[in-house]
Amino acid sequence: MFTLKKWNAVAMWSWDVECDTCAICRVQVMDACLRCQGENKQDDCVVIWGECNHSFHNCCMSLWVKQNNRCPLCQQEWSTQAKGVNFTRLLISEGRWAGEQEV
Amino acid sequence: MMSSSFVSESVTNGQRKRFSSGSPDCPHLHKKLCRHTQHMMENQKLANFSVAPNGVNKTTVLGKKQGSEKKILAIKNFKVHNQSAVDHIAESWQFLQEAVVAIQESRKLRDNLTQEDLYRYVDNLITQQDPSRLYYDLRELTERHIKSRLNQFLSGTSDRLTFLRQLNDCWTHHCHQMKMVCNIFLALDRGYVLQNAQVSSIWDMGLELFRQHILEEVVVENRCVDGLLMMIEKERSGETIDRSLVKSLLRMLSSLQVYHKIFENKFLMATEQLYLREGQRLTQDRDVPQYLLHVDKRLTEENNRVLHYLDMSTKRQLIYCVEKQLLSEHKTFLLQKGLDSLLDQNRRLDLSLLYSLFARIKGGLEDLCTHFNAYIKSYGKTIVINPEKDKGMVQELLDFKDKMDGIVSECFNSSDKFVLALKEAFEHFINQRLNKPAELIAKFVDSKLRAGNKEATEDELERLLDKIMVLFRFIHGKDVFEAFYKKDLAKRLLVGKSASVDAEKSMLSKLKQECGPGFTSKLEGMFKDMELSKDIMLAFKQNSHLGSTPIELNVNILTMGYWPNYPVMEVNMPLEMVHYQQIFTKFYLAKHCNRKLQWQPTLGHCVLKAAFPQGSKELQVSLFQGLVLLLFNKADQFTLADIATGTNIEDGELRRTLQSLACGKARVIQKSPRGKDINDEDKFSYNKDFTNQLFRIRINQIQMKETSEEQQQTEERVFQDRQYQIDAAIVRIMKMRKVLPHNLLITELYNQLKFPVKPADLKKRIESLIDRDYMERDKDNPNTYNYVA
Repeated sequence: MFTLKKWNAVAMWSWDVECDTCAICRVQVMDACLRCQGENKQDDCVVIWGECNHSFHNCCMSLWVKQNNRCPLCQQEWSTQAKGVNFTRLLISEGRWAGEQEV
Repeated sequence: MMSSSFVSESVTNGQRKRFSSGSPDCPHLHKKLCRHTQHMMENQKLANFSVAPNGVNKTTVLGKKQGSEKKILAIKNFKVHNQSAVDHIAESWQFLQEAVVAIQESRKLRDNLTQEDLYRYVDNLITQQDPSRLYYDLRELTERHIKSRLNQFLSGTSDRLTFLRQLNDCWTHHCHQMKMVCNIFLALDRGYVLQNAQVSSIWDMGLELFRQHILEEVVVENRCVDGLLMMIEKERSGETIDRSLVKSLLRMLSSLQVYHKIFENKFLMATEQLYLREGQRLTQDRDVPQYLLHVDKRLTEENNRVLHYLDMSTKRQLIYCVEKQLLSEHKTFLLQKGLDSLLDQNRRLDLSLLYSLFARIKGGLEDLCTHFNAYIKSYGKTIVINPEKDKGMVQELLDFKDKMDGIVSECFNSSDKFVLALKEAFEHFINQRLNKPAELIAKFVDSKLRAGNKEATEDELERLLDKIMVLFRFIHGKDVFEAFYKKDLAKRLLVGKSASVDAEKSMLSKLKQECGPGFTSKLEGMFKDMELSKDIMLAFKQNSHLGSTPIELNVNILTMGYWPNYPVMEVNMPLEMVHYQQIFTKFYLAKHCNRKLQWQPTLGHCVLKAAFPQGSKELQVSLFQGLVLLLFNKADQFTLADIATGTNIEDGELRRTLQSLACGKARVIQKSPRGKDINDEDKFSYNKDFTNQLFRIRINQIQMKETSEEQQQTEERVFQDRQYQIDAAIVRIMKMRKVLPHNLLITELYNQLKFPVKPADLKKRIESLIDRDYMERDKDNPNTYNYVA
């Protein structure tokens, strides 16, 4: 009697992290770190995962490792497992996000 | 006039030539003579008979030619020239006296005497005897005549106007005759008066005598001044008067140098009295616009009065007096009585007049500005404060702002002071009610940006947005606006209801300009998500391993944090859909590692094909509505509980969904028993007999309850965010100051926080921070806090 023809679904993505907050700056990892918020570089602020599976803002961690090359949470030697990619940034660099200049 | 000025000219030239031959005080003399001649011209009462200029010239020229001993040569010259004429001084004087009396009595001169002859007599006399004698003889002659004129004024019988005419005649006659006498006795003026500083010229002597004997007579003075005042008062009360008479008499007073002494003060006092009474009377009798027009008329009249007959020096005092009595004295009264209604009724002309009049008086504009400000505050508050008027509040605010802007630019000269007062007042009243105006402005923008709003063209919409931004600027709780704006924007984007991307972006750029990029970065992020989703779907469809599937899937992938928070719900979907969803999830996560996806069924919507016996339809429904309908593929009838387990939709949500399907306009489901509300025992069945003239049918969700809940949620979220901001501000301040008394902390907080907060709320946050060991109370002084590192 009823058949589905068209489906507009909505999904919310977030970084796949164990803990929502960056242990270094205490801001949620889905938000930009305070430094980037202040400098209005929200789009550049991505997440970084260590081999220990702990995650932080990339900018926070890159400052941290300069002083102490260990994960702030588990004290293991820090080595990067993965880095978030900001897809928007990619699109902009390819010139496909036309709205940027206008907005 | 012509001949006279010629005489003066040539005399002056002659004098200059002679003086240049060595007289030590020549500049002084020259000046005096010049002043004298000038004076005669100013009075414009110049005689119209001519004194032969040649005589003057000849004398001096000859005198100069024949050597440096001018006086001797001059005598010779006369003797040679007038041998047959007068030899005796007495005889000369006799002739002169006769001539003067003749002039005084307006008779003709004796036939055989020309003015040239008379002139020569004078010239002759002053060389033959002490010239002061001639001068005093002349003075006595004049004095006697003037004295004789006095009597006519003393009788006191004539009415005032006749008296004034008489006096004026006497004066013009005096001027005329003195002019002639001056011309005849030019040599005396030149040869004697000029060289004796203490002696006044013949003309001035005439004036002095006139003043002394005519005008300083108390009766004459009083009657003259009273008469003049009476005439002016008559004119003020609207009668026509002989302006030239008044003018001539006032000139007389000026010439006699008694204008200020005897007239001006009395005149100003009379003016003040008149307008004092008029001001008191008319402020009661007339309404304010009429009164203002009257004042304006009075000011023009008085200005004309100065132009027509008063002395220019009176102008400043006179105008000041009028302004003071008619305006300054009633300043507050006029504003209190008139301003509000003028503004209410938008009477621009009257307001312009009010402004220009108040600009004249001291402190007038300041007072006007204060009252203007107060009016906006009190009127604006009535728009904002009443919850019943919420529906039209924003439009009313926009209209009110337009009106006031118009008045400031058109009537108040766009003066900075008023522009500022306008701003200050708007900012003040709009924040009289917390949060609500911000919320309503956000919703107003939503209504304008939503599809289906066809009342405005692009340009009009743009202008409207600009105006809304002006209101937005006044709002203190900008975060409230942002929260509501974001919620509405999310709806517009997800349901595809946005009227125009251009308008959306324009609004966004305005917000960015106003509040900085931090304010809009998340809103921008929402737009980017929408764009990105399109790209992802394109890639997904190219890669799709599904082959042919009848379902057209479209997914919007939102970045968490950019969008408002939505409740997370797990629902049961048909296997096919679950499968499809899984494929997409896999595809997405493969492309974007380290991410996770949270599906949001509350935001989904779909299109269903429905094969009713009466004809097939397409239904545009929300995902929840769709899920319920799809359930009916399995059976024709369900209970509420059946549907709940079948779909796993949250109870409240489910009831609203069923209500929309079974109790709305298009009832694809039947409910038994019938009724508006969904009860636990209700049964629902497929409506076989469904008909509708349309092929595509949109079944609206029930919004009412949702909206009020949403609104509360949004507000709560704003308050939550504010708490963090307060906490952050307290810690920031304490970290800097280390030790700070309570009051100072509160003051600093109010400086830093950009939204309105109550002191009690701040106290709560401080308590909470003390509990969490961010700071502590000082042991000795409990009103002081210490920062705990």
